[in-house]
Parts: sequence; structure tokens; C-alpha cells
Amino acid sequence: MALLEIKNLHASVAGKEILKGITLSVEPGAVHAIMGPNGTGKSTLSNVIAGREGYDVTQGEVLLDGKNVLAMSPDERARAGIFLAFQYPVEIPGVTTSAFLKTALNAKRRAEGKTEVDAMEFLKLVKAKTAALGMPYDMIKRALNVGFSGGEKKRAEVLQMTLLEPRLAILDETDSGLDIDALKVVSDGVNALRAPDRAFLVITHYQRLLDYIVPDHVHVLAHGRIAASGGKDLALELEAEGYAKYLDTAA
Amino acid sequence: MKPSEIIDHPFAGAYAKRLGVKTPWQGHLPGPKMEAWRFTPLRTLANTPFVPASASAEVDVTELPRGVPLIAGAARLVLVNGAYREDLSDADFGPGVTISTAEAFASSSRSPLALLNAAYASAGVSIDAAGPGLRPIHLVSIGAAGAEPAAFHPRLRITVAPGASLTIIESHVGLPGQTYFSNPVTEIALAENANLRRYVSVAEDSEAFHLATATISIAAGGSLEAFHLGLGGALVRQDITVRFAGRGAAARLNGAYALSGRSHHDFTTVMDHNVPDCRSSQVFKGVADGDSHGVFQGRIHVARDAQKTDARQLHKALFLSRGPEIDCKPELEIYADDVQCAHGAATGEIDHDQLFYLMSRGIDPATARSLLVEGFLTEAVDEISVPEVQALFRDAIGAWLKSRDIARARP
Repeated sequence: MALLEIKNLHASVAGKEILKGITLSVEPGAVHAIMGPNGTGKSTLSNVIAGREGYDVTQGEVLLDGKNVLAMSPDERARAGIFLAFQYPVEIPGVTTSAFLKTALNAKRRAEGKTEVDAMEFLKLVKAKTAALGMPYDMIKRALNVGFSGGEKKRAEVLQMTLLEPRLAILDETDSGLDIDALKVVSDGVNALRAPDRAFLVITHYQRLLDYIVPDHVHVLAHGRIAASGGKDLALELEAEGYAKYLDTAA
Repeated sequence: MKPSEIIDHPFAGAYAKRLGVKTPWQGHLPGPKMEAWRFTPLRTLANTPFVPASASAEVDVTELPRGVPLIAGAARLVLVNGAYREDLSDADFGPGVTISTAEAFASSSRSPLALLNAAYASAGVSIDAAGPGLRPIHLVSIGAAGAEPAAFHPRLRITVAPGASLTIIESHVGLPGQTYFSNPVTEIALAENANLRRYVSVAEDSEAFHLATATISIAAGGSLEAFHLGLGGALVRQDITVRFAGRGAAARLNGAYALSGRSHHDFTTVMDHNVPDCRSSQVFKGVADGDSHGVFQGRIHVARDAQKTDARQLHKALFLSRGPEIDCKPELEIYADDVQCAHGAATGEIDHDQLFYLMSRGIDPATARSLLVEGFLTEAVDEISVPEVQALFRDAIGAWLKSRDIARARP
């Protein structure tokens, strides 16, 4: 069974149809890249899967391990194994990164019928994970994402992903705002998480990220539909030729 | 204030009562037509038949009510119905601190409630601090009405001598399920280069009234750091006036409130800049649920001679449901030209992007809301410079949050 199954998905924002029938099947262990020009629905797709409000699904299905994702609230989806790495991680003043991480981790553990981690185990765990990502451990004492640089925010997203061990990780324009060093650190973090029972949906405008996170499949999204699919070479072709031909044919 | 000075005031009648003539004070409370009281109607207070609260003997208070923290290292000073209770207080306040009870002393406030206090207060409590290394004081004011609604009028005076530094924590609480009216007046004088940290927690019982008037004067080089927490009470007003009396004085006046049910909390502050080179800053944050009502009125007055004044004020509030009302009224009266003054106010609901972000990590909506509210208020509590007090107030907010179902308040 596919890990993620998207069938003829239509979604609109404020009455305007953005996704116009997306069908996509993601097997466990696979990395799928979704590429496309701005405004073609890449972020809409990630938001619809994660359950952000303001998006109306008018037709179609999204199944995770065969379960109807669209019937779940955002927190239920997360506990079922969906993780969205935000393009713009949200600043949460007054809430320390550490308190947030512990709450999220224990919510997931409770849902899986596991015991909650205590303060000592948690700190040990976070210490190891931050070290692996080259993050200063003190960062978890700061308010979540508040005053973090672009690179720090994206690293914090990967740290969360590492702790929550999702079934499906969606990376929404994770490369935006990153310099080449930060991009490498973030990519290494993601690659370390690649596993036979986990899948990735990497949403990006540029091919650059895919040099580091090498996809198994590449899809071109244009005008709310998947206009083409292929292997990793498709990304290189797009880099060389641009998106123009997909926009023309799809229009 | 002497009786002769207020003989023309309605409360002159109340003064008469002190001499043995019965005069109803409730007919003379400020009404909604007085600008300063527009958002805080006193009808219920006026219509409650209060008797004077018993000061000592008949009141069965032998221990602190639940929820009053024990603060390690602090000397405890307990008032029951406004009267000093030696039996519940620490015997030793350490070197440099003198506690005395005296006949009601003068107050510089002429607010109607301060006058009412002047008319009815039996004895005042004075705290005079001097010298280095002073022990912190934990003042606990307990309301204990008995069968009938009772009113009492605590009167406090705090003086801090030149160069001395004092920390005082105030817990205003009451016995559960009782209707009482606490009307404290606090007069604080900080001498040159004196420093006071004053942390006030008002967590009165849900049927209680609490209308506090505090006036703080700061001499040259002196500084005040104050935090006012509002967590409970049917009707609460904390009226705080800071008077800058000498150059180089500074005041940080901050606060937080968390309201539920039909609770009404009013913070009314006046920063009175009369001399040059003084700084004041205010950060107040609040959350309101149920049918509660929050009020913040902050006036900054900068006199013509008060050049180089730096005065800042910020009030931010969150609605946790559709029921509450929040009124915010900043007032800037600036007569000097070389000053820095700023004020900000924002009222809104819990941010949807923040809520989605937390939920997208598997945190259920009730817990996510709780985290966001706690974080919002924590930002204000972080202004407290004493870590132990910061933790204490944070815990109090945490307990308030636990006692509520934030999820049900989802708009």
C-alpha cells in the first residue's frame, strides 16, 4: 500500500480553485520532489495535506496509510505521522523551544501508547539531536523561532522533524532564505532521516536543493495539475529550460 | 489628609461616622459620569449592604488561605481585614526594617476611594526600611467577612531611606465564598537613590471587591520596579500613581491579568513626570475569557520643565472568547518639548498561524491555546527581575490556566 495517496484533489482558496485534480502516489522510503513556478499551488498542496484552515477541498481524497487525512484535525494528522516543515516557521513569543518540543514529543508518544519522556531523558535526547545538527544546545532555551535567523529557523524545523520521526515529511520551500552552508546542514539532517518506512515530499522552486536531497521522482506542478513526472533528471532539465513549456501547454 | 481639609467632600460624612455618627458612604461612590470611572461601574458595590469588618478577635483565621505561597527568606506580615495580626506575622523582620502600627497617617491621594479609606481606616501599618541587606517582606492581606458582607480599609505606608533597597511581595486573598470589600491605600516614599521592588498579586475570592490606591513618590536617583498581577475578584481596581520628585528617578511598572467568569479588573496608572531626566516604562498584558471585563487606563503626564523624560507604555490583550470586554485608554499629556514618549495598544484573538503551527506538531488545540496564552503572559512576567518571584507569578498563571478549559472558549 502506498504511504501517501492523493486522488484527484481539488482545492480552492476564497472561492478560487488552486488545485485542479492532483493524483499522486508516494511509496514508503521514496523522496518525491514537487517543482513548479510560483503561484501554481505548491504551497497550497502542502497546506491542504497538513490541514491549515482557509483551504476548501472540493473534490478528491488524501490517504495516509489508507486513512482519510482530510477528516482529521491538523494535530491528529501530525500524530498520524504527517510533518510539515514550514517555509516561514512561526515565531511563538514566551514559549521556549524546549517546552514546545517536549509537549509535541509527548503528545505523539501518548498517541502511540508509549510513556512520556521525563525531563532528564528529554534533555539527553535533545542534546544528541542538536549536536548532530550542529545547533547550539542553548537554542532550546530561547522562545520558539523568536529572533532566529533564517538558517536557525530551518534547522529548528529539522530538529523537530528529527524528534517527531514522521511517516511523511513535507518540506515546503525549505531552501528559501538559506545560504549554501545552511542548506548543506539542513539537507544532511534530512538525508539522515531517510528510511525505508518514511517518505518525503520536497516542494521547491529551484533545483539547487535537489543536489543535496536527491529525489527518486520529480513532478512539475503547473496550473494546479501535475504537468509532468520523471526521475531526478527532470529537475536538471527544468533548471536548464525553465518552466515555460509547462505553463504554455497547461494554459 | 486632615478632616478639616475634606470637610466639603461627600466623605466628610464618612469621617463623621468615625466619630460615631452613622452616614452611608455608598451613596457617594464615583459614578460612570466620572471619566476615571467610566469603565468600572460601582453599582454592585454600592448596592451591597456592607458592615465594618471585624479587625481581630472574632475572626477565625489561624493559618494562611490556600494558594498563598511560602516565600523562603521573606519575613511575613499578615493583615486580616486590614488589621495587623502579630500572631500570624513573623516576629523578626531583620535589621533595618521597622514595622509599626499607628493612627491613620496622611495620604496624598484625593481619590474618592482614598478618602473613604481615610474615613474608615482604623490603624495604619508603616514599614520603614533603611540600610543595606534588607530582608524581603511578604505582605499577606486576608479578607474574612463572616456571615455578612464586610468592608475594610487597609492603610499602608512604606518608606525606603536613601540608598536602601527593599523587596516587597503582596498577596491579596480572601477566605473562600465570602463577600468582602478591601479598600487598601498605600503610600510609598522612596528617598534619594532608594530602590523598591514591589510585586503585587491580587487573587481575591470570586465574590470579593478590591479597590486599591497606591501613590509612589521617587526622589532623585531612586527607582521602582513593580509588577501587578490580577487573577481574581468580582471587581478589582489597582490605581497606581508614580510621582517623580527628583532627577534621574526611574520606574518600571508592569502587570498581567487573566480573567474569567464575570471578573472585572481595572488597572489605572498615572506616571507623573514633574522633573527632568526621569524614565518610566510600563508593560501590561492580559487575557480575558467568559464574561469578564479588563480595563487599562494609563496616563503619562510630562510637565513643561520635565525635559529629557523617557516614558513608554504598552498594553496588549487577548480575547479567549467572544464574551469579554476590554477597554484600553492611553492618555499622553506632554508639555515639555525635548522628551521621548511612546505608547502602544493591541487587542486581538489568539493568532491562527501560531495555533496552526503548534497543532501541526501534534499538540491538541486546548494545549496549544494554553501554551500560547501562557507564553503571551510570560512575556510580561519576564520583566520581573527577581527569579523566585518570576517563578511564583508564572506558577500562579499556570494554575489559572489549568483551572480553565481554554479549548471550550474557542471562538
